[in-house]
Amino acid sequence: MDFNAQSTTPIYIQIAEWLENEILAVRLLPEGKVYSQYQLAEIFNINPATAGKGLTILVENEILFKKRGLGMFVVADAKERILATRRNHNLTKMAQEIVHEAKRLAVSDEELITLIKQIQKEG
Amino acid sequence: MIQCEELEKRYGKSNVLTNVSFQIEEPKIIGLIGRNGVGKSTLLKLVAGHLKETGGNVQVFGKRPFNALHVAANVILIEDKMSFPPIFTLKEILLHAKRFYPNFATELAFDLLLYVGISEKNEHMQLSKGQTAVFNLIYGLATRCAVTLLDEPMNGMDEAVRADMYRAILKDYIAFPRLIIMSSHYLQEMEHLIEDILLLHEGVVELYAPLEEVQQMALRIVGQKEEIEPLLEKVHVFYKREQSPLFEAIIENNGLEIPASVKSQSLSASEVCKYLTSSKEGTIDDIFK
Repeated sequence: MDFNAQSTTPIYIQIAEWLENEILAVRLLPEGKVYSQYQLAEIFNINPATAGKGLTILVENEILFKKRGLGMFVVADAKERILATRRNHNLTKMAQEIVHEAKRLAVSDEELITLIKQIQKEG
Repeated sequence: MIQCEELEKRYGKSNVLTNVSFQIEEPKIIGLIGRNGVGKSTLLKLVAGHLKETGGNVQVFGKRPFNALHVAANVILIEDKMSFPPIFTLKEILLHAKRFYPNFATELAFDLLLYVGISEKNEHMQLSKGQTAVFNLIYGLATRCAVTLLDEPMNGMDEAVRADMYRAILKDYIAFPRLIIMSSHYLQEMEHLIEDILLLHEGVVELYAPLEEVQQMALRIVGQKEEIEPLLEKVHVFYKREQSPLFEAIIENNGLEIPASVKSQSLSASEVCKYLTSSKEGTIDDIFK
């Protein structure tokens, strides 16, 4: 499994990310049922409570929803929601890196903005 | 299920547990962690009723465990010094187990024994160190006791068997949830399996918290001395080391803003426990100065 107990990312977050990837790959379908915390515990060889925490974050982020007594299901537009969050998150992270590198290289704000505009034009 | 209040255990003049208080209310898997000689085994024996406390109190299912039949029937303590009647073969031990533990999963015990390749015709005394540990753990798991205490259950087992046994614990726990407290020096090995950490240090409970919380407790920061030193004034510092040109520190993670030029990383639970219980007399490097 592509999951790592020694990683500094907590296991329950890795579980949440794995489930998101399954949704993006359409192996988990919109409105479809998701693995229970016990199934996840067996698949990944982890404590069921940890698996449960992974599911809970996705419910909080409105990627999954609970049906009483039936389990967890994928929200209809889960894929779009995941993509939107990841886009925001990744883009912000990259922008931060660019700004830091620019600082290190003593590139001024104006120069940086000109550079971005130029790349957009060329692209 | 288990309540300890200011629990104390002295052996003669030496105080092992001075003031241990904690409560466990529901079935879960807990890792009992601590340095050598801190009293992990003593605590488990007190909970199992094998030892009598010298102060404070301990309750299991609302009763004092020492000399309590109800507690003895519902609690199992697995340790490497466990003894079984020497005249019995493993097969006979397993066949008689149901008389003491009504929920004993006899079939599971035989299946596991066959799987790990230990002959049921052996006597307990004949087993190697690793085999003894495997058999004891299988026995403990099969009792399905509401409170299952495992004291260093993996000691002496080879790596492949350890991985299988961790998996067996998890599978049987999912099927039959119960309270499992497992002590070990190898927290890292069982981090995936446990829900809470109970950390003993210098006779008291240093920490009792969910694993995820422990993982977020501390940060390792590495950078230039001028950048790191001002940060250290604002937080609790577990450890710092200057290895010119870099400065490294382990600090409490209290939401302090770390400048982007400083590398920061959260620690694994086992590292956090290591720093929480590290010697106050400096580091091993100081001995070699």
